[in-house]
Amino acid sequence: MASSDPIIRLKELTKIYQQGEIRVTALDGIDLDIAAGEFVALMGPSGSGKSTLLHIVAGIDRPTRGECWVGDIEVSRLNESQLAEWRNHTIGFIFQTFNLIPVLTAFENVELPLLLTGLAPRRRRELVQTALDIVGLSDRSRHLPRQMSGGQEQRVAIARAIVTDPPILVADEPTGNLDAHSAATVMETLQTLNGSAGKTIVMVTHDPRAASFGSRIIHLEKGELIRESATPPGGGTPA
Amino acid sequence: MNLGAFILKNALRNTRRALLCVLSVAACLFLFVSLLVCLRELTVPPEDIGASLRIAVRNKVSLTVQLPARQGPIIARVPGVAAVTPFSWFGGQFGTEEGTPFAQFAVDPAKFAAMFPDMRLPADQLANWIATRTGCIVGRDLAEKKNFKIGSRITLRGSVWPCDLELIVSGIYDYEIDSTSLFFDHKYLDEATGNTGTVGAWWVLAENAEAVPGIIDRINAAFANTSAEVRAETENAFRMSFVSMLGDIATLIGAICTVVVFTLGIVTASTMSMAVRERFPELAILKAMGFRTRELWAFILAESFLLAALGAVLGIGFAIAFYRSPPVVSAMSIYFPVFEISPRIMARAAIVAAGLGIVASLAPAIQVARLTVVDGLRTLD
Ligand SMILES: Nc1ncnc2c1ncn2[C@@H]1O[C@H](COP(=O)(O)OP(=O)(O)OP(=O)(O)O)[C@@H](O)[C@H]1O
Ligand SMILES: [Mg+2]
Repeated sequence: MASSDPIIRLKELTKIYQQGEIRVTALDGIDLDIAAGEFVALMGPSGSGKSTLLHIVAGIDRPTRGECWVGDIEVSRLNESQLAEWRNHTIGFIFQTFNLIPVLTAFENVELPLLLTGLAPRRRRELVQTALDIVGLSDRSRHLPRQMSGGQEQRVAIARAIVTDPPILVADEPTGNLDAHSAATVMETLQTLNGSAGKTIVMVTHDPRAASFGSRIIHLEKGELIRESATPPGGGTPA
Repeated sequence: MNLGAFILKNALRNTRRALLCVLSVAACLFLFVSLLVCLRELTVPPEDIGASLRIAVRNKVSLTVQLPARQGPIIARVPGVAAVTPFSWFGGQFGTEEGTPFAQFAVDPAKFAAMFPDMRLPADQLANWIATRTGCIVGRDLAEKKNFKIGSRITLRGSVWPCDLELIVSGIYDYEIDSTSLFFDHKYLDEATGNTGTVGAWWVLAENAEAVPGIIDRINAAFANTSAEVRAETENAFRMSFVSMLGDIATLIGAICTVVVFTLGIVTASTMSMAVRERFPELAILKAMGFRTRELWAFILAESFLLAALGAVLGIGFAIAFYRSPPVVSAMSIYFPVFEISPRIMARAAIVAAGLGIVASLAPAIQVARLTVVDGLRTLD
């Protein structure tokens, strides 16, 4: 489980959006350590900077000031091309809207990130199969996104996020578009990935039930960390 | 799945739009190819062996002004000249038809065969024609159309000349360049018109291609400062002057080609732009997964090439099939004896299609380069 060794370390992280006269401080000097194997839930009101924080950690946005270390890499120092490669094997993305490609089957959607790796087709097939097994959808591999429920689509998206075996998963409101039952299944999948596969997970959510699956809940408000609360090990129950 | 399959699936995901795009590319390329063939037919006549040896001599004032018959022997004596024949337009009416239904020329049958070595006329028919003063030869296509046989009688009612001709078919010739004309003996024309001592033009055959420029200069010089100054020119130049008589068609066709290609560029570019814009969220996800801008460019380029290539194959393929189909061939043969889509023209159309593929992917490429993952994700909301 969670070791004390931080895999993500944020120092004085600040993000300011300047649009003409208007200046929005989305993140205001965040200091935060996340240990490898943690399952962190980020909560807070709308506009508090949760997504911004997630994006910087995941290397798809850059801070205005401060440092963002992942392992021994200062992410904001990498150029676009280095970042792209780094993301491919370090970060798995899960979004509120599942963003599967509609013309590709579940299998092909999961295979997409592997097309960049130069692995042999056979090896790719094995990895895709394993990822679909983990999310419990190996029997749906030939289905197109529209032939699946929202919960299943999100689990395909999770399989896509883990297929390159990245150490970190980021999830922005992964249950935001799902009913309670599907949300529970998705959260259980994430919990499994955190528990048995040892993935570090950073998840933004508005849903306290989803947050209760995390090992640690961090509250943001107006770009500042205001409070932290631990959840009992093993997380909560969706009901 | 490999990248090729991924690109193919993406290109065809909006089937109707892809189809419309491919069809419009095909239609435009069909038009483009047709125009190019017209242009070539007008400017570069099909090669035949005699063409490089033949010289047309006409009145310097205009093609429609006659030349004195006494020029014939003078031209024949110019060094390097192998043969000379008068070549006069008769323009008679036939049967009940209005106007001149086919071309009729008065020539010297004895010189004619040498003049047009690519024209095939059996020796006995040629001999027959030379021996028969009212004899004529007709092209194979004309003979088939009008059901002329050897021995058929043809009455031509003069419209330019105040006389009628009673001709008898002595032979039927085959000739790639023109097989829809009628040729008869100039002596018969002279007799019928009461010997005006004039001819429409002269056709001159040079002994070899090197002699041609010298012959042209000598003939032009021979009649300078006479009452009938002439313009001698090569057969190709002569044809070109016909074309310019019709107005500057070549320029016009060139302009139409440009408009066609331009329109096509707009159509494909807007299709690609739409296709890419609606895929922003997905492209953002691909970027997040680690696809670099240049890889996404390659996808877009490949997709737009694919659409352009499908359109090209369809358009050019249809054009080839269309212009080879017998009804079209016979309809076109009146204006263009050989309406052929040459490999060169196909290549030009293919280059246009490839250029389109590139042009169409420019705007989307810029869009994608500018797209950040975060912005792309925001378009989801
Ligand atoms: N590109 C941008 N330009 C200007 N302001 C921005 C931009 N992106 C985000 N912001 C602002 O930064 C602040 C934080 O935004 P962020 O998306 O991180 O909030 P959030 O906590 O994820 O909210 P929500 O729960 O609604 O998703 C907001 O005030 C937002 O308006
Ligand atoms: Mg957000």
